[in-house]
Amino acid sequence: MVSKRFVAKRLLLLVPVLFGVSTLVFAILHLSPGDPAVAIAGQRASQAFIEQVRSDLGLADPLWQQYVRFLGDVVTFDFGQSYQIQRGTPVSSILAQRLPITIELAVLGQIAGLVFGLPLGILSAVKQDTVTDHLTRIGALSGISIPIYWSGPLLILLFAQFLGLLPTSGRIGSEYFLEPITGLILVDTLLTWEFDAFVSAATHLLLPVVVLGIYQMALISRMMRSSMIEVLRQDYMRTARAKGQGAKITVMKHGLRNAFIPVITIVGIQFGTLLGGAVLTETVFEINGIGTLLVDAINRSDYPVVQATVLVFAVLYTLVNLVVDLTYSVLDPRIEQ
Amino acid sequence: MVHEDDQQSRREFMRAAGTATVAVTGVGTTAGCLSGDADTTEDETADAGDGTGSDEGTETGGDTETEPTGATLRYGRGAHSETLDPQNTTSGEVAKVTNQAYEGLIAFQPGEAALTEALATDWSMEGDSVTLTLREGVTFHDGTEFTAADFVATYRRFVDEDYEYYFEDASAYGPFTLGNWIDSVEAAGDYELEITLTQSYAPFLRNLAMFPSVVISQEAIEGDVDLDQEMVGTGPFELANLDDANGRIQLTAFDDYWGESPDPSEVLFLTRGQNNTRAQALVEGEMEIIDGLDPSSIDIVEGSDSAEVRTIEGINIGYMAFNMSRIEAFRDRRVRQAISYAIDTQAIVENIYEGIATQADQPIPPALFGHNDDLSPYETDREQAQSLLEEAGYGDGFSFSLTTFQNPRGYNPAPIRTAETIRTNLAEIGIEVTIDDRPFSDYLTYTSEGNHEATLSGWYTDNADPDNFCYVLLHPQCEVPDGQDWVSWDTEGFNTSNYAAWANSEYMGLVEDAQTTADQGERADLYSQAAAIAHEEAPWVYIDYAQEVRGVASTVSGYTVAAIGGPYLTNVSVE
Repeated sequence: MVSKRFVAKRLLLLVPVLFGVSTLVFAILHLSPGDPAVAIAGQRASQAFIEQVRSDLGLADPLWQQYVRFLGDVVTFDFGQSYQIQRGTPVSSILAQRLPITIELAVLGQIAGLVFGLPLGILSAVKQDTVTDHLTRIGALSGISIPIYWSGPLLILLFAQFLGLLPTSGRIGSEYFLEPITGLILVDTLLTWEFDAFVSAATHLLLPVVVLGIYQMALISRMMRSSMIEVLRQDYMRTARAKGQGAKITVMKHGLRNAFIPVITIVGIQFGTLLGGAVLTETVFEINGIGTLLVDAINRSDYPVVQATVLVFAVLYTLVNLVVDLTYSVLDPRIEQ
Repeated sequence: MVHEDDQQSRREFMRAAGTATVAVTGVGTTAGCLSGDADTTEDETADAGDGTGSDEGTETGGDTETEPTGATLRYGRGAHSETLDPQNTTSGEVAKVTNQAYEGLIAFQPGEAALTEALATDWSMEGDSVTLTLREGVTFHDGTEFTAADFVATYRRFVDEDYEYYFEDASAYGPFTLGNWIDSVEAAGDYELEITLTQSYAPFLRNLAMFPSVVISQEAIEGDVDLDQEMVGTGPFELANLDDANGRIQLTAFDDYWGESPDPSEVLFLTRGQNNTRAQALVEGEMEIIDGLDPSSIDIVEGSDSAEVRTIEGINIGYMAFNMSRIEAFRDRRVRQAISYAIDTQAIVENIYEGIATQADQPIPPALFGHNDDLSPYETDREQAQSLLEEAGYGDGFSFSLTTFQNPRGYNPAPIRTAETIRTNLAEIGIEVTIDDRPFSDYLTYTSEGNHEATLSGWYTDNADPDNFCYVLLHPQCEVPDGQDWVSWDTEGFNTSNYAAWANSEYMGLVEDAQTTADQGERADLYSQAAAIAHEEAPWVYIDYAQEVRGVASTVSGYTVAAIGGPYLTNVSVE
């Protein structure tokens, strides 16, 4: 059973994790070369002007003062304003814009991976050592081995350039402008009954989701296969069959649920990787999620954006892992928290 | 310029009436009837800047209101606007959008460095006094009428800390373009401005044509408009949508524009960070015009039959500066010349920049007046280089570190490969170069503090005046010890954009004279002489002048590629 105490304990653990992460980010940013004041002021600025910018931003203060101020801001969820990416805009509203973009991509990629990965894995396990199994395994191996920065451009070349079926990049056709409601473009287009816009968004997201999904699918099907093979050998499976239950029902009812546990672990860990992988996918397909935001912010010494984005990554990763842990006990009541 | 008597009389009439009708001008103008002739053909583009066309449009506007062609023009670029406030940035990326919605008093002629009228119809500059006559019947996007008070408020927001609405985050362009040169700005009536300069300064009018000098509505400045997110100018396009999440900006034609109605009814600025993706999007018909092309994306556009590459001579320079403040060997002209002879700039331009740049020979790019046509690039001549080094006492060579930025920039599409070529070339004459490559913001910090020994650098013009290269990049702007042609980096008031720390008194005298000389012919002559000195003294290795390259869909007509100002999109039509 899921105990409230366990959840509370895990959530409390977030505090030291976030403290550690924020301290690390602060240290790395301030130790790395490059001065945001110079980056903001630009090549036309005099030294006096640069000094002014530096003191306006509080970057002229002693480091420990900046650190204390930063911690105070983090505790109150005030990440300040962007230096460069969107000048003067609160970082929280930039993240509110960008985070749903990445989450939508990652969730769709995960769904694609599960939808194709699970059946393939089960099929492979049930038909162990047949041609189907071999083909699936080769497919899975290739899926894991192909890097996104290679499969992405290749798919663009094929589907956008040669076949002309899909757009090259972006998240929605340039003619559609939507007021964001949830920030998830597929959901927003449906909520506003903009069917054309929905189709446009779906065709734009298809390739990036496939690219993310291929990798997930490969990983999930491999994991599902080995986990299922192990479960199939269990006594309770034999008992079920001996009692006259059909093969399919045995596999789907008794096998699947038990085989899921290691798969869920992988899915959980991979969701974090998926968020990271979205950086590459976002770059290849020119989608402005938090992955590209982070890279851009690092390149332009936009400290507040870097700090907030890294913290968001840390929170997401921790929460996803908590959900994974909770799922174990739901799937297998023998596992107690 | 063509400012005739009929205009004069109209102006006098309006001035007389103006002060009495301030309160009703917003509703009293013939806004909405000034759209002029929409059937602009491609041929008219070249004439668009001489001022007559737009004035005629104003005169005859009443009965010629026509619908724009209704086309959408999609302009693809490498980065999204970080703000929509022209006073909050030094970024050219921002200017591409603000130039559509805002106008300055004076403008650059599309595709040329010459000036033309915009919100001012007439101007004169005598010594340190500048008088401008402003255009009447111009409406801001917020419906208020443009008067001299709007420019005064715009100026004060940018540089006057005593102004209630002074902009705390004003960019370095505040002092650089206006603040350092202006003593006072007075509105003499609604349509007359009198500007007093701190000294006589010939390039000043060009500074008024720069993107940060555009006029913002006083009501917006003093009201609660967030100018990072909104644009309240007088330009031909107004903001419809700012979509930061998807890196898009949608502009629509402004109905009450004083000049000719723009041909496109809608302009979309779209962001594709990777050059090749942007080029593919153009070729696939997802965009009409793209900028920021490199050799590889040029290949994509050239290989298609749906788009073409267009170029124009750029107004920029890429160079390597010797930091004389740090390295003693660089203080000897013969050493600098030897290195200039040893580096094969022709190979760099032809093999690395692959034909999108030409070899440089002086600080003033060829598109500007004052460029000295008699100069030619240093020929690659290793023997000459070696003998100059020996003459200077460095026959056994020496070593230095060459600082460079890592990512491509317009004037240097391949900085690391450029640095590697320089290292190889100089190794042949016994000089050992270590490459010190840095991310751009770190590079800027490092070089502005004078830590570099030599550095790759470059410059894009701000105002298409030679002063913007000669004074900004090679004049120390501080006291120079007698008989010395360099200064120490920590000299009080030193201009840290002078990466060479060069301080040649003869050159400095010529550049200072050119600042205070009104006649352009005389100025050209002074700059030409200054360029000859800069060539001979070689404080830089002059590497290249990069071209402006655009990808244009074959459905587009009427587009003029410009090296300064713009992009000029009002006369662009899309099939």
